Amino acid sequence: MLAIDARDVAKTFRAGVFRRRETVALAGVSLGVPRGAIFGLLGPNGAGKTTLLSIFATLLLPDRGTVTVLGHDVVREAGALRRRLNMASGNASFVWALRPPEILDFYGRLYGLSGARLRQRVGALLEMCELTAHRRVPYNELSTGLKQRLALAKALVNDPELLFLDEPTLGLDPDVSVRLREHIARLRREQGMTIVLTTHYMREAEQLCDEIAFVKAGRVLARGTADELKRQIRIGDVIALRLDPPEAPWLADLEGVLRCVTAQGGIECTVDDAEKRLSEILRALHAEGIIVRDVQVREPELEEVFVELAR
Amino acid sequence: MSWRADERWRTERWRTELVAIGAFALRNLQMASRNVFLLFEVLFWPVVGVIGIGLMARFLELSAEATSFILIGQIAFSTVSVCQLDVAYAVLYDVWSKSVKHQFLAPIGVRHLTIGSWLIGILRSLIVFAMLAALGWWAFGFDALHAGPWPLAIFLLGCSLTAWAVSVLVCTLIMLLGARAETAAWASVNFVLTLAGIYYSVAVLPKPMAAMAAAIPLTYFLDAYRAYYGFPAEFAHPILYGLVLAVAYVALSHWALVAAVRSARRSGLLLKMSE
Repeated sequence: MLAIDARDVAKTFRAGVFRRRETVALAGVSLGVPRGAIFGLLGPNGAGKTTLLSIFATLLLPDRGTVTVLGHDVVREAGALRRRLNMASGNASFVWALRPPEILDFYGRLYGLSGARLRQRVGALLEMCELTAHRRVPYNELSTGLKQRLALAKALVNDPELLFLDEPTLGLDPDVSVRLREHIARLRREQGMTIVLTTHYMREAEQLCDEIAFVKAGRVLARGTADELKRQIRIGDVIALRLDPPEAPWLADLEGVLRCVTAQGGIECTVDDAEKRLSEILRALHAEGIIVRDVQVREPELEEVFVELAR
Repeated sequence: MSWRADERWRTERWRTELVAIGAFALRNLQMASRNVFLLFEVLFWPVVGVIGIGLMARFLELSAEATSFILIGQIAFSTVSVCQLDVAYAVLYDVWSKSVKHQFLAPIGVRHLTIGSWLIGILRSLIVFAMLAALGWWAFGFDALHAGPWPLAIFLLGCSLTAWAVSVLVCTLIMLLGARAETAAWASVNFVLTLAGIYYSVAVLPKPMAAMAAAIPLTYFLDAYRAYYGFPAEFAHPILYGLVLAVAYVALSHWALVAAVRSARRSGLLLKMSE
């Protein structure tokens, strides 16, 4: 069962009155997001990730194509759909003079909550996002991490079935990012929430997402699990070597070696086929009298797949 | 759907409507109580305006009737101005804080935003009116209650409806043009009141401007209210015309704002105002 079913979605932004400028943000995107999944949208800046997310969230109207979210058409049934979804952005901002409980109270009311139910929900969200100690601080005096947590709390105020997270850990300290990621994973695990997120952090996508779609220039270039993507985008295998002496620049000239880089005190060679090339490399090193202290063969990181796709 | 379920659904719907309207009313109230500039809007500028106009009337040795005429205009100016700013603020708070998208992500209509903030606008404008009426009476012997409670209530209703129409059109401009249209929040009311005959009879306006004045509801409400102070009415049935025009503008401005929000969703301005 799909939470999101998008077909041939296109969007072009037009600017300027006298000299019209057109920017194609989406050029016919088709995408299905299963219910209960954490789905990642990855891509370089300006790829169209936020545009796609905004169309799914009814904030932007598509020029072409159809989008059904939780069974509702995003254009014709936006009102009914908005009750069931919510969104948090990494660069979220709220009215400066209000305090966290007041901000949550305001948005809670917009979703029809009132009285004891609203008070309980606001209290629970403050507790859950560790904001209770900061309840008296005006929004503009909160730290970036607290603002992000408040944005997440606001996005949960209506207990949504579908949650959109646009760069949720942008600009956060590593420890805060880790906690936020744990939180996102828990939301899916405990509440069965469908989560669609955009991120620049490959590790985040790899850790959190069941499935990932690579978006570039308004198109989905590839999609699948992190492992499937690594297999789909054949950029070779990585042979990591620790040598004595540590340098062997001629390795890059061997047949089947695509590139060699120095990394973490060793050398990482990307080869077309590790099974075939490993023995050749070891033989060549032995012939040169270089001692191999350690050798590991691994698949490429998601980040390397991303770089390859974004190229 | 059974009758009982139907009734429950209708009650729930009304409750949701009122809660969303209350959200905007409460937020405007919270902001008004914390922002020194907003306190200035209520306490400082209206008082300065009435004192300035009253002293000018004294210096020019205007009659009591003429002084009443221009003080009514000045009080109407402050009342409309404060009321319309509250509605404009409901959008501007989100534009300034770059949080517009969160508001329109929620299952609300523009009616919740406008009605909620308008109610606080009325409250603030009533405070302004009461304060200025007391000041006018104490400093210049102007009796704002001279016309009696009903004409006064209709006059204040006219001011509030005019404020609604002007402010919703300001919100429309912001939704169409972005933050650069925010100056309209302060400029528009001055323009409307200049045409509506703030310190003079609309009879002195050049013909094209007089025609524009005749299309503004406040012109009729000012005309009707000033008639109680001995000035012959310029228009026949001014209250009727004023109310019909005001209701038409309220409906028109609401429709324009709904269309502008849809246009902002299409053009991406809604997102741009949140970046």
